[in-house]
Amino acid sequence: MSQQRFTFPQWTNLALPAMAIVGATAPLYVAIVVAYGFSPDTLDVGHMPEQPIPFSHKLHAGELGIDCRYCHNTVEYTQHAAIPPTETCMNCHAQIHPQSEKLEPLFESYETGMPIEWVRVHDLPQYAYFNHSAHVNRGVSCVECHGRVDTMEVVYQHETLSMGWCLSCHRNPEPHVRDPKLITQLEWGIDMSEEDRKIEGEHWLDVNHLNPSQDCSTCHR
Amino acid sequence: MKLIKQIIDDLLTPMLEDFWKVPLWIRWALVVVTCAATIPLAVIYRARHSVNEKPRIHIIQNMDNQPKSVAQDGSEWFNDGRIMRPKIEGTVARGDMAGDTHFFMGIEHDEWATTFPTTVSVDKAFVERGQDRFNIYCTPCHGATGYGDGLIHVRAMTLVETGANGTSWVAPKNLHESLIKEQPVGQLFNTITNGVRTMAAYASQIPTEDRWAIVAYIKALQFSQDADPELVDGSASFPQKNTQGGDE
Repeated sequence: MSQQRFTFPQWTNLALPAMAIVGATAPLYVAIVVAYGFSPDTLDVGHMPEQPIPFSHKLHAGELGIDCRYCHNTVEYTQHAAIPPTETCMNCHAQIHPQSEKLEPLFESYETGMPIEWVRVHDLPQYAYFNHSAHVNRGVSCVECHGRVDTMEVVYQHETLSMGWCLSCHRNPEPHVRDPKLITQLEWGIDMSEEDRKIEGEHWLDVNHLNPSQDCSTCHR
Repeated sequence: MKLIKQIIDDLLTPMLEDFWKVPLWIRWALVVVTCAATIPLAVIYRARHSVNEKPRIHIIQNMDNQPKSVAQDGSEWFNDGRIMRPKIEGTVARGDMAGDTHFFMGIEHDEWATTFPTTVSVDKAFVERGQDRFNIYCTPCHGATGYGDGLIHVRAMTLVETGANGTSWVAPKNLHESLIKEQPVGQLFNTITNGVRTMAAYASQIPTEDRWAIVAYIKALQFSQDADPELVDGSASFPQKNTQGGDE
């Protein structure tokens, strides 16, 4: 009995071209998945945590036209734009919807003095020291970073808040600055042409002597 | 053309013939792998075009979260869950001492102050600051012109009609009533600071100097609604005053 020799079937010749195709597409595929999948556009934008009270910015800031600073009143003075204390809500809600079930955590907080555990939506890395007052007092509107909060039923992260995104504005601030008196007018300028918006921005850059810093130490200390 | 034909005839056709001889399970595996490769792409596409309530996926930490606390963080150290500590009772923080009763309370010689404190200078910029602050903190109820017709008032009235969740509402004051027009500035300041009846206190929301600015603006607003038209240049061509009030 002669020993039968193993011969590769003819179709195995395809192995080489197949390897060539995989070799060419796989790195491209991995690059696309990593570049898009790991980008803050994918991971961070659209973060919309559930809050203990279904507070609607669309109703309060949009329809009722309450200024952002009525509640976030520290924004012009400090680094942090404070979530309002329970007392601010009670300015109105002592009388309006005082028996609402949805507002139960609010009334409980008011009675016990324990804070309402609102969930932070916009969370910067802790080595980045963003200062709200430095921006709003120079005419960077809330809308530039937070989007049209006055149309959001539930607030979600609208921009990437990545370093590249910060710098894109610091390098090219014209379309993002305005009259500091209009910072909370979120709808201001949306029907302006790009050209007009830039001219307006240039004007306010000039008036307020703005020169956005690109130094590392401006934000990282 | 000839070259393309040659490539097809000599290279691709035999390759295709070979392909059909590849064992069926390998060909199926190829189909499955190709399909599976689209899943991550689809997931990424969806994540980029929708909102998500779940916590963020944070793969590379990079010291983004550090064992330190920032403003308004939660904390397990303290019973109330706050990292920021409330003022200790009976203490006064630096800069918080209300020694000047005129400036901090609107009281002069045990009576409502009739003048602005000397620490503020009432000029155009001050009144404009007051207008800016009034528009933030007062217009929701009192309305932009102070007639007590703000959007919160309008909303509350519709809620009272439908009886939603036990809503009751005391209409905000019309700031042009003679009773309020006659109030000394100190009393107006006190109302903003400590609240009155159903109006809440605004001392924690508005800094002291800004509350005086609002008082200055209210005085200007009251004056404007009842001013002699002669005081304004070109007033002859203005439309007649709306005697009903309430409309802007």
